[in-house]
Amino acid sequence: MNRLTFITVVFCAIVFTGCTKLDFYPHSAASPDNVSEKDLDPLMKGMYNAVQNFPGRESYIMYDLVGGNLTTASGGNVLAFIKNIMRTDYSLVRQDWNGYFRALYQVNNVLQIMERMPDTDKKTQVAGVAHFLRAYIYYNLTTRWGDVPLLRVNTSELVSRTAQAEIWKFIEEDLLAAMTQAPGFITGLNGDYYLASREAAQALMARVKLAQGKNSEAAEYAERLITSGLFQLDRFEKIFRKQDNKEVIFAFENLTEESSITLSTLFYTYAHPVKGSYVYKPTDEVMNMYEAGDNRRAMSIDTYTNLDVINKYPSGQAGTDPVIIIRLAEMYLISAEAQGLNGLNRLNELRAARNLSALNPSSVDEYQQAVALERRRELLAEGFRWYDLVRTGKAVDALGIEPFRTKFPVPDYERLVNENLGQNDGYVF
Amino acid sequence: MKLTSLLLVLFGLQVSLTASPQTITFSGKEVRLEKLFNEIKSQTGYLVMYNYKMIRDAKPVTIAVQNEPLPSFMQRVLNRQSLDFSIHNKTIIIKRKPEPPTGETNTQQPTQPLPIDVNGKVTDESGAPLSGATVKVKGTNQVTSSDAGGNFSLKNVKEGAVLEVSYIGFVAREIRLDGKNSMPVITLQKEESKMSEVVVIGYGFQKRREVSAAVASFKPTEENSRPALSADQMIQGRMPGVQVSAGSGSPGSSNRVAIRGIGSLSATNEPLYVIDGIPVVQQNAALINMGENMNPLALLNPNDIESVEVLKDAASAAIYGSRATNGVIIITTKSGRAGKSKFTVDYTTGIQQVPNLHKVKMASSEQYLQVINEAIDNFNTQNNYLPGSTNYMLRKENPYPGLPDTDWMDLVLRTARTQSAGFSVTSGTDKTKLYISGNYLNQEGAVKTQKFERYTGKLNLSHKLNNWLEFGANTNFSYSKNDRVPGSNLGSTIMARSLPQRPFDRPYKPNGEYYVGGTEDLVYHNPVQILNEENTFINSYRMLGNFYGNLTLAKGLVFKSAFGADLTYTVDNVHYNEKHPYGTGVGSLTDARRLASNLLWENTLNYNKTFDKLDFGALAGYSYQKLNNSTSSIEGRGFPSPAFDVLSVASEITNASTGLSESALLSLFGRTNFSWDGKYLLALSLRADGSSKFAPNNRWGYFPAVSAGWNISNENFWRWQHTQAKIRASYGATGNQDGISSYAYQAQMSGGMNYGLSSGIGVTTNGNMNLTWETARQFDVGIDLSLLKGKLNITADYFLKNTDNLLYSKPEPATSGFTSIISNIGSMRNTGLEFLVGTNLNIGKVQWSSDFNISFIKNKLTSLIGNDALLIGDNRTLKVGEEVGSHYLYKQLGIYQDDKDVPESFYKNGVRAGDVIYEDIDNNGAIDVNDRQIVGSSNPDFFGGWNNSFRYKNFDLNIFFTYSSGSEVYASYRLTVDRLGNNFANITERAVNERWTGPGTSNSTPRAIYGSTWNTQNSSRFIEDGSYIRLRSLNLGYTLPANVIGRLKMTRVRVFAQADNLFLLTNYSGMDPEVTSNFDPQFLGQDNLILPQLRVINFGLNISF
Repeated sequence: MNRLTFITVVFCAIVFTGCTKLDFYPHSAASPDNVSEKDLDPLMKGMYNAVQNFPGRESYIMYDLVGGNLTTASGGNVLAFIKNIMRTDYSLVRQDWNGYFRALYQVNNVLQIMERMPDTDKKTQVAGVAHFLRAYIYYNLTTRWGDVPLLRVNTSELVSRTAQAEIWKFIEEDLLAAMTQAPGFITGLNGDYYLASREAAQALMARVKLAQGKNSEAAEYAERLITSGLFQLDRFEKIFRKQDNKEVIFAFENLTEESSITLSTLFYTYAHPVKGSYVYKPTDEVMNMYEAGDNRRAMSIDTYTNLDVINKYPSGQAGTDPVIIIRLAEMYLISAEAQGLNGLNRLNELRAARNLSALNPSSVDEYQQAVALERRRELLAEGFRWYDLVRTGKAVDALGIEPFRTKFPVPDYERLVNENLGQNDGYVF
Repeated sequence: MKLTSLLLVLFGLQVSLTASPQTITFSGKEVRLEKLFNEIKSQTGYLVMYNYKMIRDAKPVTIAVQNEPLPSFMQRVLNRQSLDFSIHNKTIIIKRKPEPPTGETNTQQPTQPLPIDVNGKVTDESGAPLSGATVKVKGTNQVTSSDAGGNFSLKNVKEGAVLEVSYIGFVAREIRLDGKNSMPVITLQKEESKMSEVVVIGYGFQKRREVSAAVASFKPTEENSRPALSADQMIQGRMPGVQVSAGSGSPGSSNRVAIRGIGSLSATNEPLYVIDGIPVVQQNAALINMGENMNPLALLNPNDIESVEVLKDAASAAIYGSRATNGVIIITTKSGRAGKSKFTVDYTTGIQQVPNLHKVKMASSEQYLQVINEAIDNFNTQNNYLPGSTNYMLRKENPYPGLPDTDWMDLVLRTARTQSAGFSVTSGTDKTKLYISGNYLNQEGAVKTQKFERYTGKLNLSHKLNNWLEFGANTNFSYSKNDRVPGSNLGSTIMARSLPQRPFDRPYKPNGEYYVGGTEDLVYHNPVQILNEENTFINSYRMLGNFYGNLTLAKGLVFKSAFGADLTYTVDNVHYNEKHPYGTGVGSLTDARRLASNLLWENTLNYNKTFDKLDFGALAGYSYQKLNNSTSSIEGRGFPSPAFDVLSVASEITNASTGLSESALLSLFGRTNFSWDGKYLLALSLRADGSSKFAPNNRWGYFPAVSAGWNISNENFWRWQHTQAKIRASYGATGNQDGISSYAYQAQMSGGMNYGLSSGIGVTTNGNMNLTWETARQFDVGIDLSLLKGKLNITADYFLKNTDNLLYSKPEPATSGFTSIISNIGSMRNTGLEFLVGTNLNIGKVQWSSDFNISFIKNKLTSLIGNDALLIGDNRTLKVGEEVGSHYLYKQLGIYQDDKDVPESFYKNGVRAGDVIYEDIDNNGAIDVNDRQIVGSSNPDFFGGWNNSFRYKNFDLNIFFTYSSGSEVYASYRLTVDRLGNNFANITERAVNERWTGPGTSNSTPRAIYGSTWNTQNSSRFIEDGSYIRLRSLNLGYTLPANVIGRLKMTRVRVFAQADNLFLLTNYSGMDPEVTSNFDPQFLGQDNLILPQLRVINFGLNISF
């Protein structure tokens, strides 16, 4: 081999081996520009995944944490625990805010991508789901913070907050769209309550109406579902142990491999057979609120090696459990509450299903107190208590909080990067 | 034949120790060689080995001698033949005479005088023999090395030949023979002037006197050795401007290396490491988060390192372009040398343990209960809770009265054993050079079950095919097994799950079962349970190698093509069995694997020529580097018993994923050096890098640099004969692309967002097409002085470095759909002064040399796009005009001594006398984000090291200090152990004793109070001075006298004792101020109860044959 051959070989090799290539693309992602109609299904599933996971596990029990249902497992003063969460710099507050808006981005993104696609049945259904999920996100946003930025389309601009009344209108608008576009529970989904249906939109609408004090409409939507024949009250042993049941209207399936919502581990102790990190425990009030014979008690709470635990999410450390968003019992309670004393039979029907005797309250006050207590028992650790107290004007008395803590603080990190965001009254900075 | 002689060379170690020469008496005419050889055998017993073909054509010999020594007899016999001989033991090997090199055909003049044998001795200035010195006959292949007594002998040396005598660290000498066969003692002078050292620079090397850039170097020796696991650990404190901080005391864990301050905001600010010519990618050697990162450099054997060079300024580093902003560390491994083969064996054994445990003494049960109950009483009283009311807290009691307290640290810590054994072979001829080494290392960690084991092997080989072509390879192989324990950033961290446990709690129930953490029984995870019931290890396999060909095209013009590969295969397993708190009740296993490949092809053309007084050097090069990361991770649960530890038996696979990412860098680079008369130096360099991480229109970066130097002492007007001086200045640009993902610029619609077992996709990043290099422009001016004949050496440098287009994950409003986006966000400036002072003095018979270095570096953020300040984390900020790494906290002004002092708005929130006074800067009656202020910085004002080595007769002593001053540590672990009753963790005895118990009792430590977080907010209460002086290493060695080891057929034996981290002088209240839980410069200097650096005591042995 002479010197020239040597160099020639090297230079030829540079050219032929492609040792100049600089374009590389990810193997687990594609360019958003390449998305087409055939990707509608993955786009829809991506929305479910985002809305289920992004807000974080505590978002599902946030209203139990600040509503006196749960407290730190190491024990102590419940009010101190609540005040500690409702701070402008508390991580869980930021996690909720960030999570709901990041999920909203995915939902809006799907709606925006679909604009350039031809109209098909599939597109309509996906749009229906998107509208439902967006309404669900905004319900969570506005019940926490009141006025929040209203984003119909995604934007990177520094947005400001929109009045809560506008938000409610927007939610109703989305739900009405979902009610016409989303698949029917039986007709479209074959009874799969892990996917969003028109009926789920109706149920959420009942909740949204109740929140606004539009009681007759709330009762109407609730009754529509109760009388639809599609759902019926079922036993907690099925509902909270992932067995087929007739009661759930919509839940996130929250499969272990698709989920970061490890809710169950928060509730069990390391000494418990399924193990958990035992972060939160039911308060003494909760431990004492069930009447004798209540068939919900064992599935709701438990005492294991002297430690009180929530028992609705049974997997502990071993995995994750479905997170139920809306079920028929809530419709009974909405109907009962919205109709006043006229709804007594709905209350008593629910109580009967839970193995409790019928009540016969003598006053509206006594009746509404009974409904509220039933709500607390029925929906423990499902994310209701704080906002139930807030919307019925009882939060300050029941929890001992200052009036300004009936709204969440806007996280300070968000306000540091967006000067247009105002803060709720009472929170300094 | 050849094989035989090779074996003889390798194993016939007593070649130079042959007994007195035998003699021959013989006379005869025209005698055939075979007959002569038989005669030799019968007279002396020496066997003559030959190849019949070789002597078939030999001329018969006529000879008459009386008592002629055997070697000279052989000389006579073979004088006119084309044959040569050598004597090994009692064997004479006949071989062909080497072909005379072309162009030197007239060497064998018939009139040439007879060759002679030469004996001599090599010593240093004090007369001590130097063993292993190379003695070479100039212009020939004849070479030998001195034995333990410094003696050497060479046979058949031409009269009038010149001997070249060299020894590492000494000035080489040439001695003319003048026909004498016995030399006087050859004395070598210690190389004191740093100016004549050779330093490695990017793609080449230079004499120190010709370097016009700021390059620091460190050469490890037996005398200054430390039990360092990796190269970065080894250079700690050795060079000015290079700050190395240990992450923790876990074997194999990461260190932080910062060259000239904080170079960038992204990632860890790691310099670029170039090992044997391959720029390596520093990836965490661990795949699964176990609370601390692991060091990829720990996979290589630091004993193989010949030298470590740090390219500090832009002029030296810019040749590495887009990756050089944080400096470049070039690691050169040992290679073979022509000369006698050298075989060395090293063995070290020792112990290590956690020092300074006493500094964080915890309260006894009695003290604990006193404080906790005081806190509970305060809570009840303050809130008017009476016994029986819902919120009334009951006092705590010792559940095991009468039993002794538990020493939790003692349950998890131990005195660990370490050992290391290795060998190396250095050998070579003018054609072939080789270095082989092997090493086994076993370091137990101070936490029970923690262990790092490593096997390494190395072969460096080069061979000259002919006078224009050379091939070679540098290869490193390693296998290591790292048995880990959870570090400080994991929920099961051993330190923070042991120290704050209540003193009366115990690990085991009377029935032998574990008490479980997070219950009434135990505040935190049971650390004994964690250690016993998990099996967590990393197996790493690394092959780092470089294969090259050197082609000499013309005199001074060399073309080199090199292929390099750095392949690391990592298997990281975390196995929690059913009894482990994280074991999900049935056992769980995560098996993560990664194949990281880094392939490099590099072609360079080097030209060197001297034109009269001008020395000219030029380099041009092309390189293409391709990085691949292929990963997999599988998690499963449900194992029949803890003995099953592969996922094929898991009853359920809970997660499985694989990943693949690729990136590439295409580079063209060049450099020219000019040196006029050794006085004026000029170097210009340019590199162009194209990176796949940036969008095509922002892809190429250009990094030029220029440097100039003036050797004033070479000027005619210079009168100070014993002083050398050089002034240098440089300016240039370097880049940074570290810390961003392979596809950062691309918007991505990613898969994996599945729901209900069907595929889901979603936008995971919007991309940033404008993303581009971070660029630093650095100016450096320096002076190198060598005074008093090299007895005093001083190097001083000043630098100013401006970094623009800082790459950073910029916080975004969540309403944009993302909470951050990787952007080029701002600029920062580092300025610094560095000094290196070296002295070489003889005090009587004691030789003392010392190296002292100190660096003053100041960092400032000079601009930030969009904002004046960014809040990062809970206690840091990025603020224009301030340092990166500033602590941003509430400031404690004192303690309220009386309820009347507490402002109304705070009083309403439960603040009382005994609570902390925070400064309410905006006076709005609330302590909130606006009241945070900068209360310190994690960057030191100055830092450095001081090494002293002493040598007296056969003793050597090395004392090495490192120090740092002016940095503040955020002792976040005190948020737990100084809580004084806000939770039930144990409390330090110091906090117990210093707490506020009434007016005037304390103005720094608050009262005990349950149920209030007021006193444990992030505040200056937990900021502490992190200054320290550490006796980094103490090394005492003794080299056995030559007459002793000569009998053992060894050339050198040294025994030593070495201690690491023997004492630490600091005001810091924790165990070690130098640790950090996060290597990001923004978050540096936070102690969340990290395993401190260990104290090590070693004994060892170095043997050379």
